[in-house]
Amino acid sequence: MKLKAIVLAMTTALAALALTGCGDDGDTGATGTAGQNGADGQNGADGRDYTAVNQWYTAGQATVANASETSVSDPKGRAKNIILFVGDGMGVSTLTAARIYQGQQRGESGEENRLSFETFPYSGLVKTYSSNQQTPDSAPTMSAIMSGVKTKDGIVSVSDDAVRGTCTSGQGHEVMTALELAEIAGMSTGVVSTARLTHATPAATYSHSVERNWEADSNMPQAALDAGCHDIASQLIDFPYGNGIEVALGGGRSYFMPSSETDPEYGRAGRRNDGRDLTAEWTSKYTDGAYVWNREQFLAVDTSSTHHLLGLFENSHMQYEADRADDGAGEPSLAEMTSRALDVLKQNDKGYFLMVEAGRIDHAHHAGNASRALQDTVALSEAVRVAMEKADSDTLILVTADHSHVFTIAGYPVRGNPILGLVRGVDGSGEAAATYTTDSNGMPYTTLGYANGPGFGFGNDPMNTDSYRPDLNLYDVTDVDYRQEATVPMGSETHAGEDVAVYARGPGAQLVTGSVEQNMLFHVMNYAADLAARAEANQN
Amino acid sequence: MTLSPAHTWRNLATLFKAGALFGLFSANAFAAVAAKADSPICPAATLNGSQHFGVQYQLSGAQHGTLQLLRRQAQTAYFNPGNGVGEWWNFSVAEHPSFIRVFAKQQRRIDYYMGDLRTLNIHVSQPEIESFAAAHLRSQLRHKGAGSCADSQVYEGDYQQVHYRLLWSDSLQLPLQLTTEHKGQIKQWQASKIMPAREVDMLLSRWQQFADTDYADIGDNETDPFLAQMINQGFIEHSEHAVYNSNGQPMSGQHIH
Ligand SMILES: [Zn+2]
Repeated sequence: MKLKAIVLAMTTALAALALTGCGDDGDTGATGTAGQNGADGQNGADGRDYTAVNQWYTAGQATVANASETSVSDPKGRAKNIILFVGDGMGVSTLTAARIYQGQQRGESGEENRLSFETFPYSGLVKTYSSNQQTPDSAPTMSAIMSGVKTKDGIVSVSDDAVRGTCTSGQGHEVMTALELAEIAGMSTGVVSTARLTHATPAATYSHSVERNWEADSNMPQAALDAGCHDIASQLIDFPYGNGIEVALGGGRSYFMPSSETDPEYGRAGRRNDGRDLTAEWTSKYTDGAYVWNREQFLAVDTSSTHHLLGLFENSHMQYEADRADDGAGEPSLAEMTSRALDVLKQNDKGYFLMVEAGRIDHAHHAGNASRALQDTVALSEAVRVAMEKADSDTLILVTADHSHVFTIAGYPVRGNPILGLVRGVDGSGEAAATYTTDSNGMPYTTLGYANGPGFGFGNDPMNTDSYRPDLNLYDVTDVDYRQEATVPMGSETHAGEDVAVYARGPGAQLVTGSVEQNMLFHVMNYAADLAARAEANQN
Repeated sequence: MTLSPAHTWRNLATLFKAGALFGLFSANAFAAVAAKADSPICPAATLNGSQHFGVQYQLSGAQHGTLQLLRRQAQTAYFNPGNGVGEWWNFSVAEHPSFIRVFAKQQRRIDYYMGDLRTLNIHVSQPEIESFAAAHLRSQLRHKGAGSCADSQVYEGDYQQVHYRLLWSDSLQLPLQLTTEHKGQIKQWQASKIMPAREVDMLLSRWQQFADTDYADIGDNETDPFLAQMINQGFIEHSEHAVYNSNGQPMSGQHIH
């Protein structure tokens, strides 16, 4: 298998992936060719190439191989570029509610609206379970999307041979990501997120860590540092492939700053104990590089001469879209970041790979705050729309989520009922009822709610003693800060285990159909853009 | 929704209730603390106008406890040495205050950014936080004349069915004594110690070293035992929403107003 040869040629920490033993390719796909024997592999227990033996990898590859033989079929490698959009925690109910919300913001009924990517010609359902959990977190799910390999919760782009939090257990089990292959292939690459760039989802594109929380060296135990593991932020700057990542835009500034420096926006100290100023290293490493930390600087960047752009717009996560206008230093929107990222990336004749994450849909849901989750989902839709306009037709665009949330759309509201509002049903003639629909105790309820989370009970407020529910007539349930009710009391609402959606357009999009394993999405990208072969070719 | 000053005071009172898991007070913390009925300590004249000091308050009467107010310029923290729980506000950027909840026993912190506070519906009033929730209250009471300490004033009156007597320090802009009477139940907060600046610095710099987690990240850290406790048992928020006890039951009335 071609990936093997590429891996063998690497002289980095990932050289541990290099493999001995398996001379034949073990590839169940139709298009694989035999690889070379590895000479000096020192990886894990079996000394074999994970791309030949890892069940997740080979199964996903086989699915793509079969799908590629269907009637509508772009040949392998038709896509020059790939843009992958991920809504963190953007389950199907979030998409439905956000679609209605966006339509109603425009004064429409809402249900008939389509988010930008809902117009894509291909879609499918994605099974999100991780290799050890029925309901996963972002680390194994994004690892699956980026590498073709499902892994355990909390682990970032290292196979499930590793044990979470044990540095040595992951060494030699790092899995190659689509972004890394793109860099080796000479393509330009970008990572954009409203979360910290070191957060699990963006981290899984460019780094390898057995613990998602190892975002700066100060977050790591000494034993892990002694054993040679590296924090996630440093892996972005020390990225060893190609000519380095071209665009990295998001939050998480403090993880890139030494503890001796204070944040320009918050006055808080940096989180690096190793004394490294990674933002300064970026501009010294890349002579065509720039570092910006607010919207004004960002908009002033000359993208024709800046070929490595680092933007860190918050100390931690960027603001929710609902609060962005109130940010002290000013932050670009997800659409603005996507647009400028494409300006930089499109200059490379060899193509590009861009990952864009709406990272805070997840956080708003955890807080039980539907309005912010929906507004961030609409912001993702806007970012996709920008990409649809800017990207050329030889670009595969995927839009998906890493996992869902326990978020529900309940009752029988009349068509056009405010999605954040109380349920008002229809009367006998099918028209909007005169009064709100009520529960078995005569109390109104909202369309949107959560199966668990902090929205259980309303503290000291008037409570109906039969239903033990607050009287929502007394609340402005459509307020942006309103917290929807939850059935089970928890300080933080949880992820959910049902499938998420994937939408696709462009060359190779026809591979996205039916119900698929999440790790299959890597294979779709790899097939569509022939990443592994291009990476190999570019090395020779 | 903006938190009214009276609401802030109620929140301090709410935190005080027994059974609160992550409030500044827990029932156990009070048991060991004996009530003191002495007269309040008077601040030294050198503290006049200072923004760098601490005041330790002793609560006596129907409930007992200790609460320290720490002030360092735009930062104000409330800390209960009994259970090691603190709430630390920073108003350096007044429109966007930052908030940190401190758990000294676990040496952990939860950091709240602007968006986090908004999702929790926390709209805090800087004057109320900085005045031990007495700024608005003072304006509602009758001025009764000079108090027992230099630069102090006595206020008294009824506000929302509670009778208040307030000994206010003009130099600290804080209460030295605050007595409440509601349905025959009397509680008294009394300044028992003025803490020097270095003691404030020591506490704040120790908290600065604690392992911190963003509030937004709690939901993704269910395997961290400390955070799992936060997820599963909930916390006491400065909010009308989501105030419930370890059994998941909404905490009942007993408002102080
Ligand atoms: Zn999450």
